[in-house]
Amino acid sequence: MQRKFTRSFDALTDIYEFAEEVLAAGNVEDSVRFPIHLALEELYVNMVKYYPDNDSDILLDVTATDGKVCVTMTDYDVDAFDVTTPRNVDTDLPLDGRMPGGLGLHLVQQMVDNLEYEHHDRQSTVRFTKESG
Amino acid sequence: MFNIEFGENGEILCSGRLDAAQCAKAEEFLVSVEGPSTLDFAQLEYISSAGLGILLKTQKRLVANSAGLKIINVNNHIHDVFRYSGFHSIFEIEAQ
Repeated sequence: MQRKFTRSFDALTDIYEFAEEVLAAGNVEDSVRFPIHLALEELYVNMVKYYPDNDSDILLDVTATDGKVCVTMTDYDVDAFDVTTPRNVDTDLPLDGRMPGGLGLHLVQQMVDNLEYEHHDRQSTVRFTKESG
Repeated sequence: MFNIEFGENGEILCSGRLDAAQCAKAEEFLVSVEGPSTLDFAQLEYISSAGLGILLKTQKRLVANSAGLKIINVNNHIHDVFRYSGFHSIFEIEAQ
């Protein structure tokens, strides 16, 4: 199922509800919902944060089949930013060495099963999957 | 929806979903917290990196003043997020 969303943090609630429609119809296990929501939020927030003034909406495509969830997010008129590049986050740093920020994509990379990125004609496409079990 | 308030025993009760759209509400509350404090996550369903940023900022401020945050009743999913973020070494965390 596909739907376009406004480029705003305020769209997050609608995005969760949209994803839940698909997950409920696909009988997806509860354990998969949290990482799906988290990946959707982190990737969407990144798209909004780096191009707040872009007029185009962001397209989400979510499918759930046999316990496997596939999400494709498409952003238009943007430069390339490969979300699959390892973030090199040092999670062993003491409190003094930590700065807020920079954990979002690291979490996505840890919590989804597969993450892919494509960029052509100023169009970014991010795909990720998460499977039960 | 996210809510944050003081409980009967002075603990800070968080509920709902702490995401990028709600972190301003959390920050507005936590910025006024002083001294050793306990965050009760029993009713918190979800947290993202935006929420982690607020927790980290609060912890840095409190520890600089010889205090700190203890986080209790953390659900399994949030526990995973803390583990992947290395938060166990910089917060006192108790699972649900």
